[in-house]
Amino acid sequence: MLPLSLLRTGQGHQIMVELKNGETYNGVLVNCDNWMNINLKNVVRTSKDSDKFWKVETCYIRGNTIKYISVPDEIIDLVVEEEQTFKPYIPKTYDNSSSSKDSSPRGRGRGDSSRGRGDSSRGRGESTEYRGRGGTRTRGRGDSSRGRGESSEYRGRGRGRGTQ
Amino acid sequence: MTSLSNKKESILDLQKFLGKEILVKFTGGREVQGILKGYDQLVNITLDRTEEFIRDPQDPLTVTEQKRYLGLVVCRGSSVMMVCPTEGCQQIENPYV
Repeated sequence: MLPLSLLRTGQGHQIMVELKNGETYNGVLVNCDNWMNINLKNVVRTSKDSDKFWKVETCYIRGNTIKYISVPDEIIDLVVEEEQTFKPYIPKTYDNSSSSKDSSPRGRGRGDSSRGRGDSSRGRGESTEYRGRGGTRTRGRGDSSRGRGESSEYRGRGRGRGTQ
Repeated sequence: MTSLSNKKESILDLQKFLGKEILVKFTGGREVQGILKGYDQLVNITLDRTEEFIRDPQDPLTVTEQKRYLGLVVCRGSSVMMVCPTEGCQQIENPYV
């Protein structure tokens, strides 16, 4: 039983949240997310020494300030049902969006290829073609202007345009 | 699945509090109230006509009724602990007895 799926199941139920500073919040759990940030409604906020009380209509609590959350016992029966339909969280690969177009060079490893490009632009000639296709186009050009011959044309053109 | 899909935006809907007075508590014990002028997805908040509650010198985690005026401020999201509208928020007697 995952803590956050238990908490998700508790949506709409009365819960008690104690914060790291000792304050407690009793209220109906409206919403929660993967950081344990929570939204409560119909809240009674109790001070650290349990001597002051406030009525709060709605409030948002940042997850990293929570010490613990007490949930009603009946949630345990509900959470079992949800866990059967729960898909485990599979982390998205890092550049799913950027490298989705070129399917073939996947196997070379994503992190390496980006670094590899940077190195080769300094070292080898052929890599320029490669860079042209790549996603890091602007950086590629920038490197080449420092390193290679053709790029001087590029700069030259730029100057020419400037004088006209 | 719903909670995975809305990863970008916060579950906190500050839109409905724009132009209204909200109470913000920070990690470390500070507490301010002011009129919500803007926010972003990291819950950085801009408040106008902000007042900070003066803290108890003996116990910095509790605040007193005294206030000091701050004016226009930006609250950093990472230190925002709690946000609630001041409307409908009042101190009450012990409801548990």
